[in-house]
Amino acid sequence: MKKTIIAILALTVLCAGLGLAQAKHPSELKYQALKYDPPDPKAFRTVYAPGLRGYVQEDKSLPLFNITAIINCGDLYIPKDKTGLGRVLGDQLIKGGTAAKEGSVIEDRIDFLGGTLNFMVGERTSTLSLSVLAKDLDEGLATFFDVLRNPAFREEPLKLAKARFVEQLRQANDQPNGVLSREYEKLLYGDNAVTWQPTKATYESITAADLKAFHAKYFSPKNMILAVSGDFAKAGLKAKIEKLAAGWKGGAVAFPTLPKAFPSPEPGVYFIQKAINQGYISLGHLGLEDTNPDYFAVQVMNFILGGGSFTSRITTKVRSDEGLSYNQGSRFTYRWGLPGTFSGYVQTKSSTVGYAISLILAEFDRIRKEPVSDSEMETAINYYLESFADNFQSSQTTMMNFANLEMTGKPTDYYKTYLSKIRAVTKARVQEVANKYIQPGKIDMMIVGDWEPCNKGGDKWPGPLDKLGKVHKVALIDPMTGQEIK
Amino acid sequence: MKKRILALVATAFALAAFVRAADVTLDVKEHVLSNGMKILMIPKPGVPRVVCHIYFKVGSINERPGITGSAHVHEHLMFKGTEVMGVTDYAKDAEIDRKIDALMDRIYREKYWKTGGDAAQIAAWQKEVDELAKAEKAFIIKDDLWTQYMKNGGTGLNASTSQETTGYYVTLPSNKIELQMLMESDRLMNARFREFYSEKDVIMEERRLSENQPGYFFNEQVNSAFYTASPYHWDVIGWMDDLKKMTKRDLIAFHNTYYVPNNAVAIYVGDFDPAAVTAMAEKYFGRIPKGPDLEPIRTGEPAQYSEKRFYGEGPAPTSLQMMFHTPRDGDPDTAALSILAGTLGSGGGGFRGGMGGGGGTGRLYKTLVRDKQLAVSASASSRAQWYVGAFQFSATPRVDKGVKPEDLEKEIWAEIEKVKKEGLTEEEIQKAKNKGEAMFVRSLGSTSGLASRVGRADLMRGWRSILTDLDDLKKVTNDDIKRVAAKYFVKDNSLTAIYTRKSGR
Repeated sequence: MKKTIIAILALTVLCAGLGLAQAKHPSELKYQALKYDPPDPKAFRTVYAPGLRGYVQEDKSLPLFNITAIINCGDLYIPKDKTGLGRVLGDQLIKGGTAAKEGSVIEDRIDFLGGTLNFMVGERTSTLSLSVLAKDLDEGLATFFDVLRNPAFREEPLKLAKARFVEQLRQANDQPNGVLSREYEKLLYGDNAVTWQPTKATYESITAADLKAFHAKYFSPKNMILAVSGDFAKAGLKAKIEKLAAGWKGGAVAFPTLPKAFPSPEPGVYFIQKAINQGYISLGHLGLEDTNPDYFAVQVMNFILGGGSFTSRITTKVRSDEGLSYNQGSRFTYRWGLPGTFSGYVQTKSSTVGYAISLILAEFDRIRKEPVSDSEMETAINYYLESFADNFQSSQTTMMNFANLEMTGKPTDYYKTYLSKIRAVTKARVQEVANKYIQPGKIDMMIVGDWEPCNKGGDKWPGPLDKLGKVHKVALIDPMTGQEIK
Repeated sequence: MKKRILALVATAFALAAFVRAADVTLDVKEHVLSNGMKILMIPKPGVPRVVCHIYFKVGSINERPGITGSAHVHEHLMFKGTEVMGVTDYAKDAEIDRKIDALMDRIYREKYWKTGGDAAQIAAWQKEVDELAKAEKAFIIKDDLWTQYMKNGGTGLNASTSQETTGYYVTLPSNKIELQMLMESDRLMNARFREFYSEKDVIMEERRLSENQPGYFFNEQVNSAFYTASPYHWDVIGWMDDLKKMTKRDLIAFHNTYYVPNNAVAIYVGDFDPAAVTAMAEKYFGRIPKGPDLEPIRTGEPAQYSEKRFYGEGPAPTSLQMMFHTPRDGDPDTAALSILAGTLGSGGGGFRGGMGGGGGTGRLYKTLVRDKQLAVSASASSRAQWYVGAFQFSATPRVDKGVKPEDLEKEIWAEIEKVKKEGLTEEEIQKAKNKGEAMFVRSLGSTSGLASRVGRADLMRGWRSILTDLDDLKKVTNDDIKRVAAKYFVKDNSLTAIYTRKSGR
């Protein structure tokens, strides 16, 4: 009872203290200052005995243990005639078992413990991730290192995986979005590892020896970084990891050369026929790398153009003003060591395909020609500043962010200097990078849709589509053979 | 002033509930405002961010034929401003909006009430509407609420509508919770649904996006055939006809009925002081008048009494679905059905789930995908919804080996009969229990995931149901498994859908 009275008193004092003036509009609100300094990667970095690097944080808030190995390897390191090896490896590192255990035994045991163990192969980084209850740390960690070091790539599971992946190829042309992103990248990047697609023949050519060779080459302790968090003591964990990694050798890895030269496709419309009731559209060209000093200004510029959701110009114009689409905007994508892409995108009913594209092109033009407004700048800059702490929401996310920084060669003070680099972006810089990285003369517009109604257009923008540029019809490929469908 | 005192007394009954499960605590602080709105708080000191969600106990099951899709349309319109947000001169804007509504009412009557309405007249009215909409732009501040959130560091900004609930989400810096309280309480009281007609166009585009997913039309039909009477019969997006013909009046009535504080839960997860949040909630949400009590959904799903079979062809992969009616969320059989789904179907959900290599532990995967090599994928799921439940088996056959969906159907029935007779192994049951507990612990580590789970659970059975469900899971025996399999996995309670890849939609 006493406690209740105190609670009421406390609340009364609090209400009085806050003044409880009821604001009617956000402009009337005053906020207390909030200072947030990001954690310093150096405080978490460690190197275990065989040269295995790690970012490690003790976090006893929950009885959990999380560990991820980020390995420098992926699809871009795979030769053309073995395309698909990354997907097969992604499936078989665990399912193919280890020298000591069959894959299904490993999966069943992790499942029994209520844990998760996953392996994903990306373009240049692959990740093996384990999460178990802290009481199962020893067993989980041992399994994690067993899978990492000793995969056996047994024949039976490999055979099954290959058959399933070949079956999966049948779906390669089903989703309009999947077709669009695949063919758009093919147009911009040309014929190299970024765009190679597996076929029945490449899947069938993959052998256990290929997987073993790939593993032997890239899964060396110096070619990976661990991200670890959870309920443990750092010293004890070090002893456990060094024991499990004892005798693990591997020197410097020689990486294949990444593609450097890309085609210059003729600007215009690239049309892929599909009997659907909307056009799925991407329009743009190659972009930049995120290590480019212009990166921060480009982020702010794109936020205003079409990256900042409902506050962005493309969304306001195409969705909010015109009601043409549900999903639209612009984006810069990034790849480690290669230029990314710049694209506007929208999906809209067939009759408004040309109109929606024309509106997006007009916004590309406007941001190059006119300075952005003060309020647009304020919204964009404040968004990045005020949401910065989101990067560190959980211990494991933070450790992963730090490990990725080091893996991709970004500076240790990346987060420390992030805010000042965002603050330094000016309206003039926004216009400068808009002119530098949006090139109207180079824009390729790819559309997946139904040709007749898309080409016909509607009241506000009657066709034909060649008003936008020369129209190239692109044939779909037969995913089984990789050959064009006649 | 009197109101203030009453509110403080209500706070005295605020509960700081500590419930233990495993070795960890789910600590949810509760505060109920005098208007019935519930404030839930889960403090997590550390990073200065706060997940702020509001959930309303309304979704597509609260609709009826004619206004299907309106819960979702309404969610979109909640972003279209109030008397103070999104508008420079409310009086002038409202005057134009009234004129637009009157003209659109005539257009709808001419277009939808008559056969062969006067097209020229419709075009003339539409021209007037377009001119008014153009004039109205001078008074509209586009996406004002969204901009306010973003320039204050709002992330995870979104809203979503499901069959049962509607949620509004933002994550803000810890010092800016008041912004959320102000804007959310304002739109709850004063939403003004401007740009209603162009937003319906946006939503029809959203529906078309779904329609262009291979197999969508078939699955929509399967779902509506499975639920004959209950309002789970239609998809959340609604039928295209209703989207076209829905009026602003429909939406205002919907808002006034369901968007009342006694039908809402606000939840905060992150780095904040619960006393300060409670005081703020009193200030902003406390000012909203209580609405009338809301009646639960009346129409349940009647017993089927005969098997349903559904066949279709189109551009999606050849597949099999087998669906069974099961009881609603919170029924004593729910836990056993959930263990059955996990044990039979875990990790068999095809490549999206299995690509990472962590899956493949379910019985169906082991039997049909791995050992017999008849399926590319085979999975099971149990969905205990608020008013009706569904248990579903899904599988895609190995077309390269000439396997048909009907072959997989026979195989799955054989697995079902085995479970009816023998149940599961002790190890399988224990595994399901371990997984339930571990998933619970993991869920406590998230912020937005936890907010979503606790907030939604609270609307129907109270957030503590998360813990009692976990307790129920631990009590399941093999006899329970055999009993529920025999009770629900019968043909007269099922719908079997067979889809074959062909060209077409």
